[in-house]
Amino acid sequence: MSEHSGTGLSGKIGAAVAKGCAYIVMSLFAIMTVYPIFWLVMNAFKPTREFQINRIGFPQNPTLDNFSGAWELGEFAKLLPNSIIYTVGATVGIIFLSVLAGFAFAKIKSRATKPIYGSFLIGILLTVQTLMIPLFLEVSLLGIYNTRFAVLLVYIGSGLPMGIYLSTEFIKAIPSALVESARIDGAGYFRIFRDIIFPMTVPVATTLAILNITGIWNEFALINILVSKTSLKSMPLGMFRFSGSLSSDYGKQFAALTIGMLPMLAFYAVFRKQITKGVSAGAVKG
Amino acid sequence: MKVGKVGMREETRAYWMMVLPAFVTYILVMAFPIVLSLVLSLSNYNGMKMFGGPPWKLTGFQQYAKVLSDPFFWSALKNNLYIVLVSVFGQLPLGFLFAYIIYRKLVKWPDFWQGILYLPSVISIIVVGLLWQTIFSPSGPLSEFMNNMIRGNFTEKLNAIFSQAGGFNITDGVVAKVLDLGGPAGAAMFSNPAAELKDLMLSYPSDQLGQLIHDLTNLFCPVWSPDFLNRKETAMIPVLFVILWLYTGTYLIMFLANMQKIDPQIIESARIDGANEGQVARHIILPALSGTVVNSAILAISGSLSSFALVFAMTGGGPSRITEILSIYMYNAAFLGRPDFPLANAIALIMVAISFALIALTKVVEKRFGGKE
Repeated sequence: MSEHSGTGLSGKIGAAVAKGCAYIVMSLFAIMTVYPIFWLVMNAFKPTREFQINRIGFPQNPTLDNFSGAWELGEFAKLLPNSIIYTVGATVGIIFLSVLAGFAFAKIKSRATKPIYGSFLIGILLTVQTLMIPLFLEVSLLGIYNTRFAVLLVYIGSGLPMGIYLSTEFIKAIPSALVESARIDGAGYFRIFRDIIFPMTVPVATTLAILNITGIWNEFALINILVSKTSLKSMPLGMFRFSGSLSSDYGKQFAALTIGMLPMLAFYAVFRKQITKGVSAGAVKG
Repeated sequence: MKVGKVGMREETRAYWMMVLPAFVTYILVMAFPIVLSLVLSLSNYNGMKMFGGPPWKLTGFQQYAKVLSDPFFWSALKNNLYIVLVSVFGQLPLGFLFAYIIYRKLVKWPDFWQGILYLPSVISIIVVGLLWQTIFSPSGPLSEFMNNMIRGNFTEKLNAIFSQAGGFNITDGVVAKVLDLGGPAGAAMFSNPAAELKDLMLSYPSDQLGQLIHDLTNLFCPVWSPDFLNRKETAMIPVLFVILWLYTGTYLIMFLANMQKIDPQIIESARIDGANEGQVARHIILPALSGTVVNSAILAISGSLSSFALVFAMTGGGPSRITEILSIYMYNAAFLGRPDFPLANAIALIMVAISFALIALTKVVEKRFGGKE
């Protein structure tokens, strides 16, 4: 009954005004999101010549030519499998290494835990993009420039701090008695991990997957300095080809951006609830 | 039972076998590059073979002196600072406001709004950058929209002049009014404006008033172009706008998740006691979220330090380097034109130093606020 509190009529009017303002502000922001995306997709169906005289209106002669052209020119047939390999490989790697180390940090006593776990916590705020030049020199030095291995290594390494933090905190909450009784029965730590702990970490693994999939799929800064061969590039690098000299061919550029945007929009449409939950879980710690 | 020494050894071995794969990866990707950039920033190593190539040696702090005396470093740092300001004083308050609106159910369909407002975050930054670049460009919808509006307005005024004159009725008065509307730029097109324009207008058949107004609009209506993109003081505005647009949804989700932990009965009883929405927000919700707000601010600052792809795709740091941020400045030092890796490494280390300062700040803040949240 909160609407009827306040100071009678003026309170009611105030609440109505507040609601009206709320709708206006939210709608403005929503339009700023929906319209550009709609505009982009709509113009991907216009031939470039039509776009030059009709930038706002609907396409008069909608065509799919831009999509086939962009697909060819961006060599997306090569890039799409790479993006899938990097995203799946790095996400699985992050989850596995995080849960494994998280189990050790949470359930095996060691004096090494404090400094090592602490160093991972520092990494949460250390963004690896600031290190792209030394990383480039490092992979050149190690002879792994232009390899999938380097991309996976860097993606896994940069995802570990958050992964380890979330898994360690999650596994800490699992009763230690489970581990101790298995120890008394003579089980080794790896068996305990495989049979007892790992199956219980599904929720945190899901959060980590959600947090990493969009980030890695869309990642640009690092892969941009790690590979130069088209056969190793990912979708964002392919989309970036449509800036610069190719950007005057608007039709193809818009089609390329639409192609690049679609997988994550679909992913978001299906997993919106889980993504939202993952973001707030990742934000608990600054 | 294996307790004693054997148990201990098994325990230690298991511990390291579980921790080391992650720790080694982490060292390789995060710690080693920091050490590498520290060493190389103090040397003259410039991307040759590290061993067996031409010799390189430590040369001291001259790279740092070079960075600090470079005006482009300070301009890049200033642009990063603008991003920080937009994050802390734009994204956070807006995110809080939206979270509050959804949390207090001031709008219907909370899931719908939350879903739309977070949407920009799932789109590739390259798409975001190139899309908004096109929107702001002279050939984009913003220009088209502005020009349509200005032209519509101009045509409107021409219509008014002619309807006042009673249709196609070219008098000296009408010509003078049209010239007045065209302004000095319009008059400059003729050597004898009044007479020449009158002849021009009289050359139209009297049933072609619409065509005449259309052509006069083309001739005289000023064209709007987004020249603010090229001006030093304003070129960052589109970038900052997109950053605001891009990340507000993330803070909305963080704040909303923490608001939902507040006991709703406290708010209900405050409302029954006569507190209005503003008072509830200020005296109940904001204090409960103080830890989250501080953490978000630190997250926003450290995030703004790492932003690269958006500016890279949207402006590339241009025109003439006025939208460069630190990461682009570093990237260009290493990869644009003649490579200068010592300089790039020095910039990297300066950014790492700023990050560490922020991490130290977090620790202090955490102590003050008694742990997190």
